[in-house]
Amino acid sequence: MARNKNTTGISVRINSESSRLRAHNETVPERLSDEILVTQVAQGSSAALEALYDRYASTVLGISLKVIGDQASAEDVLQETFWRVWKSAVTYQPQRGSFTSWLFRIARNLAIDSYRRQTVRPQEVYMEVGSDSILEEMPDPGTDVAEQTQSILKNRQVRQALASLPRLQRQVIEMAYFYGMTRQEIAEATWEALGTIHTRARLAVQKLREELDREEFEG
Amino acid sequence: MDKHIEELLPFYALDALTDEERELVERYLTEHPEARQQVEEMAHTVSALPYGVATVEPPRRAKEALMARVAADAEARARSSAQSQPSRRVNRFENFFRTFSLATAAVAILWVILLNIQVLRLRNEISALNDRVAAQSESLDQIITNLPQTNPSNVITVSLKGTEVQPQVQGQLIVDPESQSAVLVISGLPQLQAGKTYQVWLINGGAPVSAGLLTVDENGQGVFIVTSESVIGSFNTLGISIEPEGGSPQPTGDIVVFSEL
Repeated sequence: MARNKNTTGISVRINSESSRLRAHNETVPERLSDEILVTQVAQGSSAALEALYDRYASTVLGISLKVIGDQASAEDVLQETFWRVWKSAVTYQPQRGSFTSWLFRIARNLAIDSYRRQTVRPQEVYMEVGSDSILEEMPDPGTDVAEQTQSILKNRQVRQALASLPRLQRQVIEMAYFYGMTRQEIAEATWEALGTIHTRARLAVQKLREELDREEFEG
Repeated sequence: MDKHIEELLPFYALDALTDEERELVERYLTEHPEARQQVEEMAHTVSALPYGVATVEPPRRAKEALMARVAADAEARARSSAQSQPSRRVNRFENFFRTFSLATAAVAILWVILLNIQVLRLRNEISALNDRVAAQSESLDQIITNLPQTNPSNVITVSLKGTEVQPQVQGQLIVDPESQSAVLVISGLPQLQAGKTYQVWLINGGAPVSAGLLTVDENGQGVFIVTSESVIGSFNTLGISIEPEGGSPQPTGDIVVFSEL
């Protein structure tokens, strides 16, 4: 229910920002919400696509590289992901979820498809918590600092939440979400009973939610 | 609650089910709102996972390649749009001619309706004229009936004129002076209001003698058979006056015709 309220809020924000955009053509794309930008992409704005790319390309490449484990293939997935956004923006429906959920799902599915076509093993995916500071992760000057800081904060919150999970529970989540493995495939790969995998998945999602709530994560 | 399907819910949120399993869960969710809410919360949690991945700054060439591809596509779209312009112009012409044709058809229909109204009106006029012709034929028949004894060689025509009261009146009296009847043809006399009538008088120095009541049509024309106990040639003047309905023994109203014979 909370998500429904959120999407309603998004719709209101879209209308509000659309009006503002019509009134001020000089509005800087980088300052617009994802939903406004994807609407502009649907209308053929390459500048809006570029703004979304600048905002999420590093995350998309991170997801791709985590799944595939190969830089070149991951870059191909990156380009294909945003190409899909360019060609399919008209099909995006804000009421069915945030733009990032849509974007990351595209990237994940493309990466899993690419991974399945290859034999390259996935690499270790998450950075160790505490291995670097926010300042060390700051991007090059010229990018939107507030936005990047927010992104880094989210990254640390999720990593800390994942780090709080027992290793075997985290393993199930990673195998299912990032590698697209089915329950049976996970059970076979880990030499565990299917029931055990069910329990670990349920507990992992539950624990992850609690940790994210505790850290006041805002997706 | 179906325990088997409930076990699938976390994997549904993680998007890690087979197609068959996914369909099974989705059918279940439509009938179990509490399970749907549970899945929505799980999906919300799972949507945070991408943020936990170490971001990797893409090389500049990746963005350049993407934007070049996008620019080429945008250009192709613009070309396609420009090529479709003539067809839009054609459509505009088609619309214009379609509108023009409709307007022409509407005018034609209106014209036909007006023509039909005019034809109907003319038919009514013809019918009225036929009635008048029939009436005048009847009058002529009467005249012919009353003139068998007339010798055509003795017939004279006397012109009649209106007085100052009705100066536009003109008429002729076709008469054999030795006959007791004559034909009066008159025009320019307005139709009288109800209760009034024209009365024809023959005068010979003394008191006028009534020769009958005259009626005219809506065109102010009338044909009247003048009859007298004496021969017409014994009178030297013909007069027409306006009298009360039914006529008067002597002229009492305006005299509209007063002509010597």
